[in-house]
Amino acid sequence: MSKKKYIGFTCAYTPLQILDAAGFTPYRILPIGDPPDRAGQILHDNLCPNIKRILDRALDRDVPPLEGMVFVNSCDAMRRLADAWRRIRPRDRVFLIDLPVTTEEHSISFLKDEIARLTGTLGEWSGNEIATDDIEKSIKKYNRLAALITELNEKFSSNNMTCSRKEIQAIFNRAVTEPIDSSIEFISNFITENDKRSNESDAVPVYIFGNVLPDPEIFSFFESCGAKIVSDDLCTGSRMIPPVDISEDNSPFYSMAKSLLMRTPCLRTMDNSKPHRFGEDIVQRAKARKVSGMIGHTVKFCDPYLLRLPAIRETALKEELPILLLEGDCTMRSIGQHRTRIEAFIEMLR
Amino acid sequence: MYYLGIDIGSLSCDAVLIDHSERIIASSVVPTGARNREAIERVTEDVLRSAGISHEDITSIVSTGYGRNRVEKRDSAVTEITCHGRGVMAQKDGIDLLIDIGGQDSKAILFDENGAIKDFAMNDKCAAGTGRFLEAMARVLQVDINEISRLDAGAKGSVTLSSMCTVFAESEVVSLIAEGIEVNEIVRGLNKAIASRTVSMVKRLARNTSELSAAMSGGVARNSGVVRAISEAMGCGIFVPPEPDTIGALGAALIAKEKSKKMSA
Amino acid sequence: MQQYFENIINGIEKTIREDPAAASPRKKFALEISKLGRDLYAGRRPVAWCGIVAPFEILNAMDITSCFVEFIGAMLSSTGAVATFLEGAEQSGFGTDGCSYHRSVLGAAEKGIMPKPEVLIGTTCPCTGGIAVIENLAKIFNKETFILHIPQDESSENVRFLAGLIKDMVEFVELRTGIKLNRNRFLEAIENSNRMRNILGEVYEMARKVPSPFNGKELNNFGIVMSLFLGTKRGIEIAETYRREFSRRIESGHCGVPGEKIRLMWIQNRVQFKNSIVQMLEKEYNAAIVIDELNSITWQPIDPDDPYTGIARRSLSIPFNGPVTRRIDHLKKLCELYKVDGAINPNNWGCRQGAGSRGLIEEGLKEIGVPVLNLEVDCIDSRNFAEGQIRTRLEAFMEMLENKRS
Repeated sequence: MSKKKYIGFTCAYTPLQILDAAGFTPYRILPIGDPPDRAGQILHDNLCPNIKRILDRALDRDVPPLEGMVFVNSCDAMRRLADAWRRIRPRDRVFLIDLPVTTEEHSISFLKDEIARLTGTLGEWSGNEIATDDIEKSIKKYNRLAALITELNEKFSSNNMTCSRKEIQAIFNRAVTEPIDSSIEFISNFITENDKRSNESDAVPVYIFGNVLPDPEIFSFFESCGAKIVSDDLCTGSRMIPPVDISEDNSPFYSMAKSLLMRTPCLRTMDNSKPHRFGEDIVQRAKARKVSGMIGHTVKFCDPYLLRLPAIRETALKEELPILLLEGDCTMRSIGQHRTRIEAFIEMLR
Repeated sequence: MYYLGIDIGSLSCDAVLIDHSERIIASSVVPTGARNREAIERVTEDVLRSAGISHEDITSIVSTGYGRNRVEKRDSAVTEITCHGRGVMAQKDGIDLLIDIGGQDSKAILFDENGAIKDFAMNDKCAAGTGRFLEAMARVLQVDINEISRLDAGAKGSVTLSSMCTVFAESEVVSLIAEGIEVNEIVRGLNKAIASRTVSMVKRLARNTSELSAAMSGGVARNSGVVRAISEAMGCGIFVPPEPDTIGALGAALIAKEKSKKMSA
Repeated sequence: MQQYFENIINGIEKTIREDPAAASPRKKFALEISKLGRDLYAGRRPVAWCGIVAPFEILNAMDITSCFVEFIGAMLSSTGAVATFLEGAEQSGFGTDGCSYHRSVLGAAEKGIMPKPEVLIGTTCPCTGGIAVIENLAKIFNKETFILHIPQDESSENVRFLAGLIKDMVEFVELRTGIKLNRNRFLEAIENSNRMRNILGEVYEMARKVPSPFNGKELNNFGIVMSLFLGTKRGIEIAETYRREFSRRIESGHCGVPGEKIRLMWIQNRVQFKNSIVQMLEKEYNAAIVIDELNSITWQPIDPDDPYTGIARRSLSIPFNGPVTRRIDHLKKLCELYKVDGAINPNNWGCRQGAGSRGLIEEGLKEIGVPVLNLEVDCIDSRNFAEGQIRTRLEAFMEMLENKRS
C-alpha cells in the first residue's frame, strides 16, 4: 500500500470528494487531544475553542504530515484560522474555499466555481489533472459512506444496534481521518456485527444539536447523567458527510455545490426567504425522533450559534419540547461542569 | 420510618430529617469546609442526636448539592434543582418560580401549574450575584456577613454599581469608600446589583415577572436587603420560607420518602 | 428617538446661527449624522437596515434611508443608554460573548426602538455576526432579506459576481419598496460619490502632515460613517467643510495637538461611550491620533458607464475583507504615510473578525517597528470599562514610545 498523502481540513462544508479524486486522504483536524493553549496569543482568546484547539494541535505538531490544507470561509473564526495557519506553517500549501451564506441559485453557482477552482489547485498539488470521471467515482464513494452513516444512525436511533453512542462517535471520527475505502469497509462490517435489537434501558431519549463535539467520552458522560443521545445535529456527528445528489443534466461541480448548500446546515447558512428556518428545522427534526427533550451544545464564542439560539429556544418552547442549552470548549473538563444541569434536566424530563 | 436529606453546597452542608408524615424532626447546617466528608458526618450525627434515633432507623437517604456523589450512605443522588423545587413546594402552594442563591451559583426554577419543573436557568460561571460575592464585599466593607443584610436600612439608593464582576466590583466599592459614601448606600447599591443580575436570569425563563408567585431559598434569602431589592426589581412579592437554607435538604428528604415508597410498591 | 435627534439638530443649528465661526467640520458632521438619525425615525421614507459595505449610493439615489445596524449600537452607547438594551438582549438569550454592537441592536429592536425597515440588506463582510443580526431583524420585522456575498478577493470573476448581485439587489429593493432606481438620479449619485471620494482623499492627504492639523476627535468614526453619505450632496458638503478647514489650518500652521510629540494610529473602531482616553493622550503625553484604520480611500472612482463594477470593487476593497495579510498591508501603508509611532488596537469583546486578528496584526506591525497596544475593552458596554486598568496600560505604552523616540 502506498503512503497516505493527507490533506488537512477543518469544516464539514469541505468537498471531500475533490480531495479524494485528487488522490489525497482528507484528514479532519478535530479539536481533540490536550495540546497546550497557545492559539489565543496568535489570534485572540475570544475565538472559539474549536479553531483554537485546531491551531494548538498544529503548533504542537499533533497532525500527520500534510500535503496541504483546505479551509472553508464558513465563519469569521474559520477565516482567521486560515490566516493563522499561513503564519505558523508558512510552507504549507493552503486553499480557502469561499462559501456563500445563502442557498439561492447565485450562491450555488458561486460555490460551483469555487469547487472548480479547488479542483484546479488540487490538480496542481497532486501533479495530475483531475478527471471528471474520477470526481464522479469519488462522489459515489462518499455517497456510499454517507448512506452507511445514515444507516448506522437510524439503527442506533431505533434501538437496533448493540453499541454505544460513544462507539459511533469513534466511527464518525475515523470516517473523516482515514481513507474512504477502509472507512466504508469498517462501517459496513461494524453494522453487520452489531445489527441486533439493543437492551431496553431507562435512559431518557434526548436529541443533541450544536456544532463540534467529537470526543467519544462525552457521549458516555451523557449516558452517565441518564440521557440516551438518540440522534444528533452536529458537524462532528451525523451531518459530517452530506451526500451529493447527482442529477443527469448537471455537472458534478454544480451537483456538489447544490448539495453542500442544501445539506442539513450549520447555522452559519441561512434561508433568505424564511429567517430562522434552519434553526426551527432542528426542533422539527428532534420532534420527529420522538425524544423527551433536546440539548443544544455549542462551543463558546461561536457567533453563528450565539445569535440563533434564542430563536431555537423559542421554537422548542412553542413546540413544548424541553430544551437545555450548554456551552463549553468540547472537552470532558468543560462538559463535566455541566453535570448538575444535565442531571436536573433529565430529572425534569422523567 | 425516617428519611434523611443531605445538601452539600460549596459553603454549607445541610441535613433535614423527616418522618413518615413528612414532618421535620431535625435539621442542621454546618460549614462545608475543605473536607466535605467530615461535614457530611457532622450534620448526620447532629440530626440523629437531636431526633434521638440511630442510623438504622433511617429508611432512605437522598443527597443533593454539588457534593451529592460524595455521600457514601446515600440511596440516591438528585440534583439541587429538583430538590429545591420539591422542598419549596412543601412549604407553600402555588409557587411558580423559585430563586435559589447559594454560595457559588444561583438558579431560577420555573414550575408548571402542577408544581413540576418546567424550565430552569443557572449561573455558575462566575461568583457575580452569589453568596461568595456578598462575602467578598462584606470583607471589603469590613462588616460581618450576617450584619450586611440590615445595613442598607435608610439608604436612598443613590449608588449604582456599574460592574458585577466580583473583582471589578471590589475595586469599585473600595473607591466608593474612599469617596466617603455611606456604607448603607454602598450596601444598597450591592443589593441592587445582585437583584439586577438575578432578574436577568429570571427573565430568561419568564419575561413578565410581575405576575409571578415567587419564592426564594438558599442562604442569601436570609438577607432581607437582597430579597427586597429582588422583589422590587421583579415587581412582585417574594415568599421566603422560615428556614431558607435547608430547602434543598428538605426536598431531598421528601424525595427519599417518595422513592422508597415507589421501591416498596 | 426622533425628538432626541431633533433636539441635537436644533442645538447645533442654533449654535452655528449665533456664532458662524463655531461651524467646525465636526459640528457639520454631527449635524448631518443627526439628520440621518432623524430620517431613520421620522417614518417618512422607507428604511433599509444594511451591512457595513452595502452600496449606499444606490439606496440614497432611491431616497431610501439606509444605514448599517452597528450605527444604532454606537449611538446608544454614546448617549449612555445602551445598558438597558444589552440587558434586554441578554434576557432574550443572546449570550454576552457576542458582539455588543449587535446585542444592543437586537435589544433595541425587541424594545421597539429600531425603526421598522422595508428591506434588509446583509453583507457577509466584515462579519458573521452581522448576517445573523440581519436574520434576527428579518424575523422581528417580518421582512425579507437580501444578502450580498462579498467574495474574498478582487479577482475579475469576483467583481463580476458581486456587480451582478448588486444589480439583483436593486431589483429586490425596487420590488419591495415600489421605488424605481431612476437612471439620472443614479448617475448623479455616482458623480456625487466620486466627488466625495476625491475630496475625502484630499482631506486624508492633508491629515498626513506633521504635526497633524487636527486633533484626535475630529476624524473619529469618520471614514466608516461617511460611507452612509455616499452619493449625496450632504456627503460632499461635509467633506468640503473638512477640506476648507484643514487647508486653512495648514496655511496658518495650526497644530491639532499643541506640541505634538507622538503620532498614533487607531485600529478598527473607537470606544463609543464617553471616556477620557483621547483627552489623556493629548493632554498628558502630547500624543495625537493621526489616523484611523478606515479613514482611507481604498477604491477607484466609479465609472458612470459601468457603475455596478465600480461599486462592487469598492465593497471588496474594505481592509476588513479577505485574508488578514491584506489588512496588515493596509495598516503598514498607513503607518508609513502618516509617520506613526505606535498603534492602539481596541479589541472589542466579542468581535471575531477584528479582535480575532489581534496577535497577527501585532506581529505584522512589529515587522515595520510599530508597536501595538492591545486594549481589551468592550467598545459599546461601558459597564465593563475599567478606566484605571486601561489608563495604566496606556501610560506604560506612552512611556515606552517616549523612550523610543528619545
